[in-house]
Amino acid sequence: MGEELRTSSVETRGMAGRKRYAMVVDTRRCIGCMACQVACKAEFDTPLGVNRTWVPYKVVGTYPNVKKQFLPRLCNHCDDPPCVRACPVEATYKVPEGGFVLMRYERCIGCKACIASCPYNARFMLPAHRTYTNITSVVDKCTFCFHRVTQGLVPSCVQTCIGRSRVFGDINDPTSEVSYLVAKNATQVLRPEQGTKPQVFYIGADRNHTEYGRDLYRRPEVMEEDRKSFDQHFGV
Amino acid sequence: MGDYVVFFDVAWHGANAAYFFFIGIAAMLYFVSALSWYREEFRPLRTSAFYLSFAALVVAGLILVGDLSQPIRFINTLNPAYWNWASPLVWGTILISLFGLTSVWYFTTLGRTDTSGRLPAVVGSLLGLGLAIYSGFDLAVHQHRPVWNTPLMPVLFVALSLVSGAAVAAFLARGEAKLVGVLRQIMLWGTTAIAVMLLSLLVTTAYGGSADELTYAFMTAGNMAMIFVGLGIVVGTLAPIALLLAPFGRQPTGLMAAALLLLVGGISLRYSILIGPQMVQTFFS
Repeated sequence: MGEELRTSSVETRGMAGRKRYAMVVDTRRCIGCMACQVACKAEFDTPLGVNRTWVPYKVVGTYPNVKKQFLPRLCNHCDDPPCVRACPVEATYKVPEGGFVLMRYERCIGCKACIASCPYNARFMLPAHRTYTNITSVVDKCTFCFHRVTQGLVPSCVQTCIGRSRVFGDINDPTSEVSYLVAKNATQVLRPEQGTKPQVFYIGADRNHTEYGRDLYRRPEVMEEDRKSFDQHFGV
Repeated sequence: MGDYVVFFDVAWHGANAAYFFFIGIAAMLYFVSALSWYREEFRPLRTSAFYLSFAALVVAGLILVGDLSQPIRFINTLNPAYWNWASPLVWGTILISLFGLTSVWYFTTLGRTDTSGRLPAVVGSLLGLGLAIYSGFDLAVHQHRPVWNTPLMPVLFVALSLVSGAAVAAFLARGEAKLVGVLRQIMLWGTTAIAVMLLSLLVTTAYGGSADELTYAFMTAGNMAMIFVGLGIVVGTLAPIALLLAPFGRQPTGLMAAALLLLVGGISLRYSILIGPQMVQTFFS
């Protein structure tokens, strides 16, 4: 694998002697069972209404040429993360070894600058009251299951994916499965023009998902009603 | 379809727009008070403008801290060991803190007849300018946001601060002819500059990519159009320019009427420029 173009000092993809974890999502293998989302919810007790990972779908085409397109989503653990730049108190930071973008909950002031800076909607605010933990009213996000990966396990969403749509590994290791998949397949990342260097690679992502705001051109009424309920619930 | 949908909320709500509004007024009123050390016509405003500036600073500070989801942890922003110099919010924290301290220093010199107030007046004015500039950078650094991510933002926020502060000062001027004349000039040219910048923003946004195109649609149609185009541009920018150019606008009553419209425009523009570009992102799923 050739040396990656690195434009900032925090980037570690392609850097010799460094691990750089990445995920490949093969959308051709995703059946939309949402098991990854459920596994993640179970792993982290993520509250209702917010998600560390989610699987949006779009019904594309008209009968009989119609298909449900899925695009599993999560934090892209960018190699040049804008959220890390935006945080005033370094509550969010990037781990040099592995490239995980993590949170220091005890330091987060809840200014939401990181939420504003994320092009992937990967961050959310935790509610003020939670049952099993006192981590409340701070920003949260996917951690690439840092606690599992550092124990030699794969993230819980990868572990549970029945179609092996999600594959996780060290992309700096040329023998890893993610390196193989990225090398052998045409892959896409979300919003590459933002310069964030996302480390979640998609195979077969549909443009109805990846194109910015495409939903707005055709907003089904039922979703508008759901959106209104969401806005009402969160006081937007 | 639509049986399972994930929704997203905008990151920054109206409280931030109110913060930008009050911090802009605080900065400009301080400058008005500082001008009194160099321009005789501003002398009647020295204390009143400063007191209102300080009040606006306190209100802005309370809004800023209150908007945090962990208000007590605002202390973290004062800890240099935590500072991330790449974040404009850190520069904002430093500028607000220094502006507050300089205001206290300036207060101690207000009653004196010598020129000891000149130094804190200049230092505070520069810090106030920094506050307006940082407010713009706060938005401009987010590279994926249409409208925000332009070099115009810091300049626009300086102009908005200048105009909103001068509008408040117009109510304090009590019809002093020379002062009314100067404030009218500031308001007229400041608002003209804002109008040119808004035109530039609208054109570049309308001619931009898909995100820009959708943001343009959000800001010029529906509820946001009423705030941005209706209150912000028509009522809060174009109408005051027309009023200030008319003979009535040269009189104290006319100036105050224009000032009122400018304040409506000031909060409306800040709100719509803050919220509008965040809306399209909530549909990226």
